Parts: sequence; C-alpha cells; structure tokens
Amino acid sequence: MGIEAAVSQLRGGDLDALSTLIARYQNRLYRYLLRLVRQPAEAEDLFQQTWLRVAEKIRSYDPSRNFDAWLFTLARNLAFDHLRRIRPQSLDQPVSKGSQDGAMVSQLATSDVGPFDQLLAHERATRLADAIENLPVTYREVLSLRFEEEMKLEEIALVLSAPLPTVKSRLRRSLEQLRGMLDAGSAEVRE
Amino acid sequence: MSHSDEHAEIVKQLPLLVAGALDEDDEARIARHVAACPDCANERERWQVIAAGLRRLATPQPSSALFKRTRMMVMDQLAAKAEQRQNRIVMIFLVLFSWAVTVVSWPIFRFATGGLLSLLDIRFRQMWQFFAIFSALTWLASGSAALLLSLRRQHERRLTQ
Repeated sequence: MGIEAAVSQLRGGDLDALSTLIARYQNRLYRYLLRLVRQPAEAEDLFQQTWLRVAEKIRSYDPSRNFDAWLFTLARNLAFDHLRRIRPQSLDQPVSKGSQDGAMVSQLATSDVGPFDQLLAHERATRLADAIENLPVTYREVLSLRFEEEMKLEEIALVLSAPLPTVKSRLRRSLEQLRGMLDAGSAEVRE
Repeated sequence: MSHSDEHAEIVKQLPLLVAGALDEDDEARIARHVAACPDCANERERWQVIAAGLRRLATPQPSSALFKRTRMMVMDQLAAKAEQRQNRIVMIFLVLFSWAVTVVSWPIFRFATGGLLSLLDIRFRQMWQFFAIFSALTWLASGSAALLLSLRRQHERRLTQ
C-alpha cells in the first residue's frame, strides 16, 4: 500500500492504515527525533506521541500537502515542546560535553569494507557524530532534514515554519559551525 | 565585482553548494570560478568530505518492540478518548433530561392536582411557597449535575495530559 492510499484510508477511519504508515516511517522519524532530543528513551516516547497526534489530527490534514512535511512538523512541535519543558535553557545553545552519553556516537559508525578502512571510517564517523551532537538543536535538525531525510529546502521550510532564506542561512551556519568543530578537533589531535 | 570580492563570496557559498541548496545558475558560476581557483577547489573538496560524511551517517534503529508498542498505545488512547466522548455525551443528555423533567413536571403536577383551570390559574394562592421550594430544588439539582460534569471533564483533561 502506498503512502497516499494509507493516508486516505486513515482519514476514512481505517486504523490498520496507521500500521502501514508507522512501519514505513519508523526509522526516519525515530532518527529525526533522536537527532533532536539525543536520548533514545525520549525519542521513543516522542515517536509514540507523534503517531497518536497523527491519528487524532489526520482529518485536518490537507491531502494536497506533503505528508512527510506534515508528519515531521508534528514531530518537531512535540520535540521542541518537550525540550522547552525539560531543558528550559535556550534551544540555540550547544550542550555541554558532560551531558551526552556515547550511545548515539557508537551508532553512527559507517560500515566500509576492509578492517583498516573500517577503522578510519569509524574514527571519522565518530568525530562527525560527536561534533553534530554538540551543535545547537536548530542546527542539528536542519542538517538531519537535509542530509539524512534528503528533504528539499521547500519541505524543510514547511517543517520549520520558516522562510526559505532563513532555512538556507541556517543550513550554511550549521555546516560552518560543524566544520569549525571538526577542524578544532583535528588541531587538538595534531597537538 | 573584483576577483577578491567574488572569491570571498564563492567561499561563503560553498557549504550551500555541497548541501545542494543553490540554483543551477549559482552552481554554474561557482563551477567556473573553482575551475580557475585552486584554493576554492581545495575548499570545495573539504566541504564535500563533510557532506559525504553527513549523508553516510548510519541510521540509529529504534527498538524492535517500538512499532508494536506504538500501535497498541495509539489504539488504547483512541479507544479511551472515544469512551470519554461517549460518557460526556451521556452526562450532557442526563443533565438536559433532568432539566426537562423538572420543568415539565410542575405543570403536570398542577394539572393532575387541580385540573386544567388550576394549570391556567396564574395566581399562586397558598401554593407559592411550594413553587419556590420546588424551583430552588430544581435549580440546585441541575446546578450540582453541571458542576459534577465540569469536575469530571477537568479530571479527564488532567489524565490525558
């Protein structure tokens, strides 16, 4: 069953279609939420809340709109409400090193062939994941939506409820800050 | 635009280039500049490494039970909300019914005890005290029912938050 058909059935009250949608989006949605909140337990809780919200609000969804953008907007709103509740400091601030756990970093390694290549790739992926985790949440999310979800800028603008130039500038700043962190990390290693 | 100005502007655009966030004209302009500028070519390569790393980040997997848990939670919550809605409708119906019964019972009572003439008799004679108590009790009962309904809704709202 395609996404459109499942959405249409869900709008008609068929809750079995919800299973189709959850199965289809579970990895992407969970990954996005994990990038935002960083804690697997919190991401799973928000994942459940998002689907409950989908089931409740599906009748207000306009089928001419992009379902991905609508779904990720619901997830984003829930995640930001959650972050504001549990971490009242500014969402634009990066977190301190001490507040992270290594769970996500170890999950981010890529699987290249060859033990040496794999080691190098793992090292690079670990450094990259570490740097991403230290970015402010607004930067993490724009990178995730663009590079992992491969959303178009227009779709990202819908999810963020922000104009296109804002999305572009946020994307550029997030990449620059990420690179700054990676360069700083490389300099520390050389020293 | 001088070469140095253009160079600075191109360097600023390179992150967006590797993010695929530029239009075709800008991409072509940058490609022309980069072909003649080794510094920018080198810089673009470094951005491309970062972009490739971001695209190849492994997808963290949710726990295997999450799908089933989510489905069950959504079904349970929807069923609970449907039941709450139904209870609310029943409560509202009962309140309206109690109002209707108490309002209608007065003329019926008058009709049964005094006949049609008594019903049309707008003078209360000695019955006015009984009428006042009856009305007060009616309003008290209906008000209490409305209050209970309101408290129940507040309680339900707290449970769903």
